[in-house]
Amino acid sequence: MRKHLGSRRTRSVLTLLVLAVGLSLVISACGSSNKSSTSTASGGGGSTAANTTANASDTSKCGTKPGVKASGTPIKLGAIVTKQPGTDFTDGANMANAYFACVNDNGGINGHPIKYKFYEEQTDPAQIAGFAHKLIQSDKAVGIVGGFSIIECAVDHKYWESLGIYEIDAGIAPECYGTSNSAAPNMGPRYSSDGAVQGVVRAGAKKIAFDQSNVPGTGYIAAGPTAVAKSLNVPIETFKDNVPIQDANSVALKLVQAAGSDGAVVLNFTPPEALKILQAAQQQGLQDRVKAWGCSTPCNTDFVAKALGQQWDGKLLVNAELNVTDASGPQSTLYRAVFDKYGSKVSGGLGSFSQMGFAMGQFTVQALNTIKDGDYSLKSVNTAIKSLKGVKTDILCRPWYYGSAPLHIPNNVDWTTTPKNGKMVIKDGCIPIAAADPTIAQVRQIEQKDPSLTQASTMLPPELGS
Amino acid sequence: MPSWEDFKPFIVTGLALGSVYALSGVGMVVLYRATGVLNLAFGAVGAFGALIAWQLINHNGWAGGPAYVVCVLVGGVITLLYGVLFGPPLASRDPLVKATATLGLALILLGAMSWIWSDKARSMILPTSNHGFRVSDIFVNYTQVIALGLGIFVTVVTGLFLRFTNLGTAMRALANDREITASLGVPVRRVEAAAWLGSGLLSGAAGLLLSNLVGLDAATLTFLVISSLAATLIGRLRSITGTFLAAMGIGLVNALVTPILSISQYRDMTPFVLATIALLVLSGRRGSALTGRAG
Repeated sequence: MRKHLGSRRTRSVLTLLVLAVGLSLVISACGSSNKSSTSTASGGGGSTAANTTANASDTSKCGTKPGVKASGTPIKLGAIVTKQPGTDFTDGANMANAYFACVNDNGGINGHPIKYKFYEEQTDPAQIAGFAHKLIQSDKAVGIVGGFSIIECAVDHKYWESLGIYEIDAGIAPECYGTSNSAAPNMGPRYSSDGAVQGVVRAGAKKIAFDQSNVPGTGYIAAGPTAVAKSLNVPIETFKDNVPIQDANSVALKLVQAAGSDGAVVLNFTPPEALKILQAAQQQGLQDRVKAWGCSTPCNTDFVAKALGQQWDGKLLVNAELNVTDASGPQSTLYRAVFDKYGSKVSGGLGSFSQMGFAMGQFTVQALNTIKDGDYSLKSVNTAIKSLKGVKTDILCRPWYYGSAPLHIPNNVDWTTTPKNGKMVIKDGCIPIAAADPTIAQVRQIEQKDPSLTQASTMLPPELGS
Repeated sequence: MPSWEDFKPFIVTGLALGSVYALSGVGMVVLYRATGVLNLAFGAVGAFGALIAWQLINHNGWAGGPAYVVCVLVGGVITLLYGVLFGPPLASRDPLVKATATLGLALILLGAMSWIWSDKARSMILPTSNHGFRVSDIFVNYTQVIALGLGIFVTVVTGLFLRFTNLGTAMRALANDREITASLGVPVRRVEAAAWLGSGLLSGAAGLLLSNLVGLDAATLTFLVISSLAATLIGRLRSITGTFLAAMGIGLVNALVTPILSISQYRDMTPFVLATIALLVLSGRRGSALTGRAG
């Protein structure tokens, strides 16, 4: 009897072991293939992957002394980045760090390497304020660059102002675009939604249903598209929906009903949430019941294009704050080469987040290179950052600048992209965000007062010195 | 106030949403009735299976059919492993402890999914999602029909299974009192394993369908059980039919509130408002019955 029980138990244990091993094999297969898929995704398609490989050797153009490692006193830079379940913005900082590594391998900043440190926060204001003080007081950072956070600008901008720090960040909070000591390579959700509204009106929409996630700040964001639509004499109805969306079918139906057959639906959501609504519309046969569908920048990824399929080719118009990742310009080429050689930690692959990180890294290095006396102090570094103007990069529609101003939105001219065969491609070239948005009107006045801000005068690697 | 014509298509989307809640809710009640465990990892297990299927199709070159089978099997294997490894040690613990332990499994799986697949937008469209028919000017796809059908099928079959089969009777006895059932000679571990496996396979199938109906997103599918929990509460964690009907009612009300813009953004509260009302009514009736019996 005991023997019988023993053999039965052995069989049960063996069965469990087989199941466990089988499951672990499936999971490990996913893990290993995921790594290769990141590599494929990072290529953004066959042609881009080929470009990436072909350009790998071009990273020598990151610095002024190809192949010479910088060995002087490090220049310490820092940032604060959001990383929490559902929101991982570390790609930007990791890509900035990748660019700094490339610079360090090719002469550094007059022989000085950049030492970069960023903290990951979980949208806790006390934690973020603590990190800001730590960066300055303990880590002795002399510049705050490459950050990407949901609320960091709102929490820290007064602290940076009190210290004379001019932050380069890719932010979300209104303070990133509405205060004197913050400038970003992107324009944030409000102005990108403005651009999306302009895009669908150009496509012939006579009415707009604008929907966004129900998070703090929706009123601030909706004010932009409302002003732009009003200036174009197009009625607009604004909505907000709780995320994660569980009933995308009803949401899509509601928006299509509100827009009408001559109207357009414009979405301002993260890619997974926007995708739910778009797919729900597709599955209910609603995608052709409106004139056009629009989306703010987050939809501008090949992941969305691939997930949607060809039924949305030319139908979805996305405001793109940055160029497509397989663009052929010099900075885009260097971006892919740096990613290929140094970007192993950029988990999201080629995409707008890592493009922003790369651009921020380039702006920072350009500023540091203007310091000729070797004194890389908090004051000299931030004076150099503030002095940046007319910085030409093909990743943005027009030159980027910092300068003295009560607010900075240097990226206010954008592309419109659309899915095509599983990739996002450019549909419309660089079009200014409408000055009907009062904040954009204010920025245009600043630019008119000092035209040198937007006139290309500063070249970046690999064009530097050419 | 929208017109009736505006409301009509939302009845269709409401039934689709109801079937989503029903699949999760019925799956949880089945396991609860069989083992006494409220499995809060039901959604996470399904999401894990669906993401593995997506991975196999998109990165390993698998055909859809075998990948869908793997999705269902992964649900079964994970749940069975959990049930066999952690079921016995937790058997004598309070139901709240058992439920909390499954929450631990849900969070571990959610963390693993975030680690392996990140939060990027992705989708897995079943072939049945591309075909269907029109009702009230709305296209109803066959995945929605299958989800509704599966919900009804599981409700009916499980009800009959628990009532009329020896294994079902053993499961019910086990859920009531494990010790006494064991002393009667019922092979407790084997019966429990069967219940965990069945529930797991159902969670895998639900994950496959829900990734189409709701979206292939780990967090969404994991926390979908919270809304479905309202349906199970209305069914008092016992009635499978009650849970199914409650889920359909919640889905319908939720959808029908959508076009009423003044309250539309509060519609996510629907499951819990209805659950609260139902529990108050049910407890009121029970109180009256007890008072009447005492009198």
